[in-house]
Amino acid sequence: MNSLTLNGKNISFEPGQTILEAARTHGVDIPTLCHLQAADHKGVCRICVVEVQGADRLLPACATPAGDGMVVDTHSSKVVQERKMLLELLVANGDHNCLFCEANGDCKLQALVYEYGVKNVARRAGYEQRPIDDATPMILRDFNKCVLCGRCVAACNDVQVNNAIPYPFGRREDKPPVTGWLPVADYDRCVHCGECVQACPVGALLEKKALGKAMTWQTQKVRTTCPYCGVGCQMWLHVKDNQVVKVTGVEDVLPNRGRLCVKGRFGYDFVHAPDRLTTPLIKENGAFREAGWDEALGLVASRFSEIKAAHGPQSLAGFTSARATNEENYLMQKLVRTGFGTNNIDHCARL
Amino acid sequence: MTSQTFSTWGRWVAGREQVPPDKLPSEFSKDQPLKAFMGWDGLFVHDTAVNLVDMARAYMEQARQESCGQCFPCRLGTEDMSAILEGICAGKGTPSDLDRLESLARLVTDTARCDIGQTAPRPLLDLLQYRREDFLNIIKSKTPIPAGHYVTKVTAPCTNACPSHLNIPGYVEKIRIGRWDQALSTIRNDCCLPGVVGRVCVRPCEFNCRRQRLDSGIAIRALKRYAADMELESGQEPPLQPGPAKDKKVAIIGAGPAGLSCAYYLGLKGYQSTIFEALNEPGGMAAVGIPDYRLPREILRGEANQVKKLGCEIRYGVNVGVDITLDDLKLQGYSAIFVGVGAPEASKMRCEGEDAGYQCFMTGVEFLRRVAYGERPVEGKKILVIGGGNVAMDCVRSALRLGFTDVNLIYRRTRAEMPADPVEITEAQEEGVKFNYLVAPLRIVAKDGKVAGLECQRMELGEPDASGRRRPVVVEGANFIIECDAIVPAIGQICVVDCVLPPEEVEITKWKTMVADDITFRTNQPYIFSGGDCVTGPATLIAALAAGKNAARFIEQFLTTGQSVPEESDYMERLISRLGVYYFKEKMPYADSTTKLHPPVMEPEVRVNSFEEVEGVVNSASATKEASRCLRCYRIAMAAV
Ligand SMILES: Cc1cc2nc3c(=O)[nH]c(=O)nc-3n(C[C@H](O)[C@H](O)[C@H](O)COP(=O)(O)OP(=O)(O)OC[C@H]3O[C@@H](n4cnc5c(N)ncnc54)[C@H](O)[C@@H]3O)c2cc1C
Ligand code: SF4
Ligand code: SF4
Ligand code: SF4
Ligand code: FES
Repeated sequence: MNSLTLNGKNISFEPGQTILEAARTHGVDIPTLCHLQAADHKGVCRICVVEVQGADRLLPACATPAGDGMVVDTHSSKVVQERKMLLELLVANGDHNCLFCEANGDCKLQALVYEYGVKNVARRAGYEQRPIDDATPMILRDFNKCVLCGRCVAACNDVQVNNAIPYPFGRREDKPPVTGWLPVADYDRCVHCGECVQACPVGALLEKKALGKAMTWQTQKVRTTCPYCGVGCQMWLHVKDNQVVKVTGVEDVLPNRGRLCVKGRFGYDFVHAPDRLTTPLIKENGAFREAGWDEALGLVASRFSEIKAAHGPQSLAGFTSARATNEENYLMQKLVRTGFGTNNIDHCARL
Repeated sequence: MTSQTFSTWGRWVAGREQVPPDKLPSEFSKDQPLKAFMGWDGLFVHDTAVNLVDMARAYMEQARQESCGQCFPCRLGTEDMSAILEGICAGKGTPSDLDRLESLARLVTDTARCDIGQTAPRPLLDLLQYRREDFLNIIKSKTPIPAGHYVTKVTAPCTNACPSHLNIPGYVEKIRIGRWDQALSTIRNDCCLPGVVGRVCVRPCEFNCRRQRLDSGIAIRALKRYAADMELESGQEPPLQPGPAKDKKVAIIGAGPAGLSCAYYLGLKGYQSTIFEALNEPGGMAAVGIPDYRLPREILRGEANQVKKLGCEIRYGVNVGVDITLDDLKLQGYSAIFVGVGAPEASKMRCEGEDAGYQCFMTGVEFLRRVAYGERPVEGKKILVIGGGNVAMDCVRSALRLGFTDVNLIYRRTRAEMPADPVEITEAQEEGVKFNYLVAPLRIVAKDGKVAGLECQRMELGEPDASGRRRPVVVEGANFIIECDAIVPAIGQICVVDCVLPPEEVEITKWKTMVADDITFRTNQPYIFSGGDCVTGPATLIAALAAGKNAARFIEQFLTTGQSVPEESDYMERLISRLGVYYFKEKMPYADSTTKLHPPVMEPEVRVNSFEEVEGVVNSASATKEASRCLRCYRIAMAAV
């Protein structure tokens, strides 16, 4: 029950799994380009096609349920040849010159072109230059690099549900030439969460702030928790020379499964801001002076104790922030209840 | 010439033999032979004068236009194949083009997502295999070849099965992407009562949905209703605009589905119309036949109101033939007339006593009509309904809702032969209707002029009859009497158009139906058109809507040119239907196990207590999920004539 032959080997699968999922469980790699798990977006690029015995055509592994007794070949000569031809068509229909591309080294198309040995493909005769959308401070959309995989569309409409990239596909005849099928953003609805940028498998969508800052392999990825709110989104800081050059969401982990909001993704300038506080300051005679942690905390503690002694514990209160972690919030209420001796403790998330 | 005709038709859809050319249609219209045909299953050629290379170019160009851009091979491949074929036909081809064409065509059929991409390169592949010289000759000659004239049509198995040929994959896809508004405008191109049809259509499309070959078909009707429900819920007015006003006006007899549809599509073109309706309510049988628990009246009234907004006036309580004649209408300045008077009378059972005028004996259509007006037309506790169709189901289920506690259906064959919709049968059973199979009525037993019982014959199934169903035969000596308070026969309706129109002016059949052209809906009088049940005999809502829609087109043609002649696309539609688009035996390359969406229904114990709508609302998440199951089985047909 529930077993199939994959590249000559018998493997088992869970009912409901696709051929792709079954193959991955058994360590067999099938290339994908359009598949976006979070939005159940699949079946578009057809790069993942495999040969199934008895089928009159190739079947997309990402969208075909594994079937009992199926005989699947993920890399038959026919499959490899058709994948290669598809890649050639893609390269010919865009501006894919990796020398000048920000996504160099971080591009699914580039990786596949390399893997399948695609060589010297000329731009398609009659290729018309597509627009570049430079309208906002955050995101650059160069549709000449777009492969029309629809991932950004699914990311925007089905993952973040902002519905800011209208579904672009439909009969060619009904669409304007050149721009007809492009996933153009509607900036009246866009909240600049950048989910589309993260979903783009090529260099069509880019974080403007990161342009020219670092090549992919020059950065180090540091995992951290977003400091902005209490959700605790997991993020990667892309760091070069101790400078954050870009932020992306960590895929496949809770709580955010790769998603970030505009602040988490783009609001990282403060990290390197020259006017950022780096030591505690104590105000004396109307002016701040730098101080050490021990001195500052000592001062705060002694003043609170004085107030408590003079006016009683009810004259004190604590108010905490969603930008602090759960643990910090817990400690704060502990301090207020046991140290201050009052129940006057609240949190901004309750306002 | 005959030696050169050839066919590859039938070789592609798995498991079929190629059909020889002489077994394939060779007539396009009365006066146009079908010279060649290209489509989803190959091509066939009757006339060797057709330049197949040019036809392949035109076919691929159409495929390129139909490509939706979603999947890579079709988007990029149709573009390239089309360009290469353009080049060859312009005399600029090279022999290596053919290899390139072949590998592109292979790639696209092998890997595309839907049937546009999977089927469109097939005729080209066939030509490259069997008629490569045709290409090489043109390439060698280096001279451009003239472009021929072809008729094209895009269809799908579901679309072809629908009498009004709705673009089903089109609207289903709009629902998938969350655009119910766009879905509705696609629906309204071919069906002006989406909320009505979305509730009660007999859905031939669903029985021809190709997804059934994979697991279970698409809930096409429920998705239509979903789109209509969303519009209602949004409170938005449908974006409907009457066309630029025309000076000619049209009279329509009957505000049933056929009449409303005719008025709607005339209105979109800017023609004012007046509907003369005998009742005081729009909708015909949809209003006074179909009970409210299946189709709430306010839905029907709301959608009929939209028709009025397009420039149509409905005059209620006017019985044409009695209150006003056709001649009067002509004198009043109507330039054309559409007759959509339906099939209002009940067929006879040929059962003793049915014409005796007994109390509590009433035909099904009359019973439902009076129920629709809020009456309780027959009295008692135990009722017998005779028949096995949908009207009989409506009668038994209505009887339960009127308070009859013992509701019995009498049918002379068995459940397997029952023509009623299986869903209706199941729901009636759930509600407590008792089904008596293999029983036929013989004589009504009356007491003091009132129904007291029904003498019946026991039947058994014999040999199959012309319809393929086994013929019921009487079991001798097994008659019996069922006591009851009321009897409602519901075995069919008949037309009585002779009451409306003077037969000396308009041709009618001996069944008292109108005679009208099956494409143009024109009668033997050039200015009188007719469609719906009054032409076909009792049929379906969507067939009546289709008739009204198409008649409107030919009425417009008549009003602008004085003629009404079919267009090439009409003949094309007919040709496609003759070829068949849904292959019951198609073998799918894999198996799937998704299930069809079933809209929520009210519990049987609750729903029998009122005429409240049984079926509930489908939420957006389920609708989107259902829509994403559609395989987009679009197919392109092209004829050289
Ligand atoms: C009980 C019942 C249930 C049905 N259920 C379904 C179903 O679930 N799904 C489905 O698809 N189909 C169903 N049908 C069939 C469907 O209702 C009909 O096929 C459809 O209504 C036919 O439309 P029409 O416009 O041709 O005729 P009708 O609906 O019969 O409309 C004719 C109109 O013309 C008017 N009229 C007649 N004579 C005159 C005159 N002399 N002057 C002025 N006006 C006149 C009538 O009053 C009526 O309003 C059902 C039919 C019945 C009877
Ligand atoms: S912009 Fe990127 S993600 Fe969007 S369709 Fe183009 S390639 Fe795909
Ligand atoms: S029409 Fe079908 S085959 Fe063509 S691009 Fe769209 S999904 Fe792909
Ligand atoms: S799967 Fe979609 S396109 Fe195909 S027959 Fe069914 S509804 Fe029509
Ligand atoms: S990854 Fe399967 S079709 Fe794109």
